Amino acid sequence: MSGIPSFHGFGLGLRRPHYSAFMAGDVPVDFIEIISENYMVDGGRPLAVLDAVRERYPVAMHGVSLSVGSAQGVDWDYLARLKALAERIEPLWMSDHLCWTRTSAHNSHDLLPLPYTAEALDVVCANLARAQDALGRELLLENPSSYCSFPDDEMAEWEFLSEVCRRTGCHLLLDVNNVYVSARNHGFAADDFLAGIPMERVRQIHLAGHTPGAILIDTHDREVCDDVWALYAEAIAMTGPVATMIERDDAIPPLPVLLAELDVARDIAAQTERRAA
Amino acid sequence: MSLAALQQEFMGHVLDEERPLPRHWDARMGEGLAIYRNAYRTRLIDALRETSPKTALWVGDEAFAQAAAHRLILHPPQGWTLDLIGEGFVETLEELFAADPDVADLAWLEWAMHLAFTAPDCPPMDAAGFAEATSDFGEEDWATMRLAFMPSLHVRAVSRDCGALWRALEREEPPANAPLPESPMHCIVWREGLEPVFAQVPARDGNHLAAMRAGSSFGEICAALAEELPADQAAAEAGAMLGDWIGRGIVQGVSSGLPVAG
Ligand SMILES: [Fe+2]
Repeated sequence: MSGIPSFHGFGLGLRRPHYSAFMAGDVPVDFIEIISENYMVDGGRPLAVLDAVRERYPVAMHGVSLSVGSAQGVDWDYLARLKALAERIEPLWMSDHLCWTRTSAHNSHDLLPLPYTAEALDVVCANLARAQDALGRELLLENPSSYCSFPDDEMAEWEFLSEVCRRTGCHLLLDVNNVYVSARNHGFAADDFLAGIPMERVRQIHLAGHTPGAILIDTHDREVCDDVWALYAEAIAMTGPVATMIERDDAIPPLPVLLAELDVARDIAAQTERRAA
Repeated sequence: MSLAALQQEFMGHVLDEERPLPRHWDARMGEGLAIYRNAYRTRLIDALRETSPKTALWVGDEAFAQAAAHRLILHPPQGWTLDLIGEGFVETLEELFAADPDVADLAWLEWAMHLAFTAPDCPPMDAAGFAEATSDFGEEDWATMRLAFMPSLHVRAVSRDCGALWRALEREEPPANAPLPESPMHCIVWREGLEPVFAQVPARDGNHLAAMRAGSSFGEICAALAEELPADQAAAEAGAMLGDWIGRGIVQGVSSGLPVAG
């Protein structure tokens, strides 16, 4: 099984309003992240755009439909299509979420929360091991935002994630905004989360904006808030240099706005590195 | 509760807000579930609206959202791809707007354009390629000739001039009524390079196209035409239709002899 290449830098997601700029290759980013499912199609413009972008940038594949926590196992057809896309574009790495999306009958098209139980841990590890075998590579698993926690929980999310890493050899995609959102929603300390996961397994960081309220919602429709920037500084002090990207999926602004926001991440990373030196 | 049972229960609440909470799930759990349920509905209705923006404009946003919700309640999605969320939505609109067939026609056109957008890449057969492939055809070969069409091709008999309706909606100038075609029409959709396109053709051409796409031989098409037209006109018409299909770039390949299984 192939390992994950050593790579760090600053990136953005490939979204439709910015296709032409990324195809021209004149966007100053180090890598691009795609939503894998948007390109798991037979042909036509999406793949033509992706091929053109891939000629100019390294690409990370980020999936939303693996459903690694589903009790009834992995979807082999999905994995076969995902693998075909990976063979086409040779991504930096592939990631998905610690969640479930479907039952045998229905697909929610959402990242639904898992109970952090020994049974769920066995299911996630078995599914992830099968997926990694089928894809021939180690995956990155991302911590999601969640809005429910179950009375069945037997461990904390970070303990669960650590154990998945230990048993499957997977890596982590640390979404700093999701740590913040879930910490607020479930009343744990974000610092405990950061201290509790194997930071050396973090290969990528996500930053994003959320909607405030009694329950915070991970909407990706606004800029990263100050608290999340502060948490990012803490996280990269622990990980060292790591690939970082900003997710924006709604109310998508012009590229210069996102690039300016990405510069904030660059500045924080540079300051953190200077302090460490 | 086992993980499988928990996931069944949770999904039940995502799909149905009337479902009573299990005793050990408290009110805070209910609030969280409401967020997931709301996100599920919004995402799926938005996805349907994204594949059918002109239909939404034509029937109005509220009526569209109701139709979409109706569809999702009766047929919650099963597959992993949101790209196919609109599968079957045309049939739902046919039922809900039975008195206004223009709604389903327009929605069909949008759905066919959507499918054509990501259909497999393959070059069409041009006139020179067709001439070469058929250069040694004898009479028997022409009679048993079958065509492979582009994977992006879709054909439907339409009751209104949905092309005119499409263009009016593209200008965001919805007409008072859906325009009637001058004579019965079929709408055909395919992709030119990366661009999905459509055209309207006379019903007779559309029927024969649909028949050949379903596996009829050219000889069968000619025989059908000979029943409608005098012999010399039938032959000319068959040739013209074939030329039109090749000219449009909807033919991918040609074969003769008995159909190959599969
Ligand atoms: Fe994320």
